Amino acid sequence: MTNMPAGKLSQNDQGQEIISSVGMIVALVSFAMLFATLMMGFAMFRFSSPVWPPAGMVKPSLVIPSLSTLCIFLSSLSYMWFEKNISNKKGLILTLILGILFMLLQSLLWNQLSTQGIFVSSGIFPSIIYAFTWIHAAHIFAGLGLLIWLLSFALQNINNRARLRVSSVGKFWHFLGIVWFIMFLTIFVL
Amino acid sequence: MAFFEQHIHEAPKTFLSKYVFSFDHKIIAKQFLWYGIIFLGIGGMMALMIRWTLAFPGQAFPVLGPWLFPQTNGVVPPDTYAMLFTMHGTIMIFYAITPILIGAFGNFCIPLMIGARDMVFPTLNMLSFWLAVVSGLLLLVSLLTPLGAAAGGWVSYPTLSLLIGSPGVGQTLWCLAIFVLGVSSTMGAINYIATIITLRAPGMGYFDMPLTVWGLWLTAVLNALFLPVLGAGVLLLTFDRVFGTTFFLAGAAATSGSGDPVLFQHVFWIFGHPEVYILILPAWGIVSDLLSFFARKPAFGAKATALSMTTITFLSTLVYGHHMYTTQMSPLLTQSFMMLTMTISIPSAVFFANWLGTLWKGSIRFHTPMLFALGVVFVFGLGGLTGLYLATVSTDLYLHDTYFVVGHFHYTMAASVLLGGFAATYFWFPKMFGRMLNERLGKIHFWISMLGLNGVFMGMMIMGWAGMHRRIYNPFVYEFLQKLIPINSFVTWSAILMGFGQLFFVYNYVYSIFKGPVASQNPWEVGTLEWTVPSPAPVHNFDVIPVVKCGPHELGNPNVKGKDFQYQTEELVEV
Repeated sequence: MTNMPAGKLSQNDQGQEIISSVGMIVALVSFAMLFATLMMGFAMFRFSSPVWPPAGMVKPSLVIPSLSTLCIFLSSLSYMWFEKNISNKKGLILTLILGILFMLLQSLLWNQLSTQGIFVSSGIFPSIIYAFTWIHAAHIFAGLGLLIWLLSFALQNINNRARLRVSSVGKFWHFLGIVWFIMFLTIFVL
Repeated sequence: MAFFEQHIHEAPKTFLSKYVFSFDHKIIAKQFLWYGIIFLGIGGMMALMIRWTLAFPGQAFPVLGPWLFPQTNGVVPPDTYAMLFTMHGTIMIFYAITPILIGAFGNFCIPLMIGARDMVFPTLNMLSFWLAVVSGLLLLVSLLTPLGAAAGGWVSYPTLSLLIGSPGVGQTLWCLAIFVLGVSSTMGAINYIATIITLRAPGMGYFDMPLTVWGLWLTAVLNALFLPVLGAGVLLLTFDRVFGTTFFLAGAAATSGSGDPVLFQHVFWIFGHPEVYILILPAWGIVSDLLSFFARKPAFGAKATALSMTTITFLSTLVYGHHMYTTQMSPLLTQSFMMLTMTISIPSAVFFANWLGTLWKGSIRFHTPMLFALGVVFVFGLGGLTGLYLATVSTDLYLHDTYFVVGHFHYTMAASVLLGGFAATYFWFPKMFGRMLNERLGKIHFWISMLGLNGVFMGMMIMGWAGMHRRIYNPFVYEFLQKLIPINSFVTWSAILMGFGQLFFVYNYVYSIFKGPVASQNPWEVGTLEWTVPSPAPVHNFDVIPVVKCGPHELGNPNVKGKDFQYQTEELVEV
């Protein structure tokens, strides 16, 4: 047992940093388990089906999903740029715009699917595409809310607290990018 | 070690900020305790209706029956019976045990026992409670919907839980309620994990934490990992019900292009098996501590107990398949799951032996909390041993979905956890409310509960052995079950006795909050950190953050002068 004097502990910046990153990492592990479960379901259907997509369906074109992937990739890059100097909000605004663009592309995708005759209730393949993109979009929606919160309220004084907020929101945003990339590879490309 | 010291916040002044939207972990703990006790009452009443129907089929449920079921003159109708056992399971697991052990005692004990002023994220903590309230309301509202609440069992397997089996909106509300509760519990779990990692008092290593905190911590880890799995499952179930996706719906062709009902069982049990450890781990931790405190001896092999609980936490994630032996799983897979399940008995035996080692040659003080802790040792032993018959494929094929299963999981999950929860309530009540509970009423409560619950669950196992299925409305229309009528009425009378015994607790609890004798700072004479502050604990817990110098179970050391225990803040006296 080490004998650390209690007086040494002040409410210091380093402590806050550790606390917020521990909290955020545990939260992201929880989110990851949610998406991992979805992926497990997908894998089960994918591997137990002799032909994919089943029931004579045609895969949707890759144009829109590729554009969304590019969009979310660029938004992560612009957020990294913003994280380097958080007093310059251009990167944040760019991230927000790219995020909104991603959502627009997703709704285009849903539109295109329904014009192609792929409806939510027409079998397991559309079930997977729709449900997974919905769940991901719900998280993107929350992420956009957080970006707007950063832009409007959270960064009035650039101090350590603000930096922690930026880095926590960043972890979440990059996480959503990674999840999208995995979904793109598995349910659209493969 | 503590990474930083929290500020002392001013005590809240208004009624709303003090008792309703409070950030204080102790108030949130009390809110969760009330929440859990209210749902325990509702779930218990449902259990009595189930038992009444099984023992006296066709007879009106006394007093409440005519009022609840006027169209059948007070007899529980078959569809309502299915709803009752579904809601009984759901309420007891998610709305009674989880709030009491994890919500209430997790919140109350963690900061006080590790020497922190509050949780690291107080706002998240408050949000977690109010989301649980939203979820509880969703569940209660589902009881009032036209076709009634969910009735597909607490496991809500498709196709029963899809629109084909449950067309009413009740099942959808059930899914939403569980999802919201999952979010709430995950929030709590994030808070607990971060608090324990970052806010332990200086000098407190992981093995200097009381075992209660160990249990709660491991529970939080399992919660953060596996509640999202259930969340994904019920989300897809909701999509199937509301938007017409076909994840769990096998089509007419049932070959390709359609969903798979068994997938939900996989998802459910990947969550569901860790869930039973989520419920029992806090109780194990509490019992491991209380046995040492009241036997006036250091906990035998405390480090081994902590490590075996960790091993069980790890193993619990690998064994879920033993719930699904009868789903035409490959025999190769069932045998692997059987072997992994059996492996759990090794760490279980380690900490169980440690419990007995703690009691061995102790000078035991039979206060009420100790009686309940000893009760846990007894019922958990029985529950654990009967689990072996369900882990073994060959016996499980016969016992699957019989009352033996019901008896087994009630012994482990209901009886152990309930007794553990009562032990915790009797033990920490002085620190929570600053008053003592009545010992005599507590002991009456214990003995009636113990007799009642053993009558109920032992009886259940015997009828399961005789082949009674767990979910039939009136088993006695089958000739081979008619001879079980006497034991069914015995079980029901035991359940009524147990329900009656809880009145002693309710009276004792409510009376003592207002009129009980004022508690001293350390009524049980133990050395963990929460007993170094006044009762009830002040708003900011500790004026000065304590420095920990010894472990939590330093009792019965003859070289300590004047008392037989050491506070964790005192320098360890050599034996």
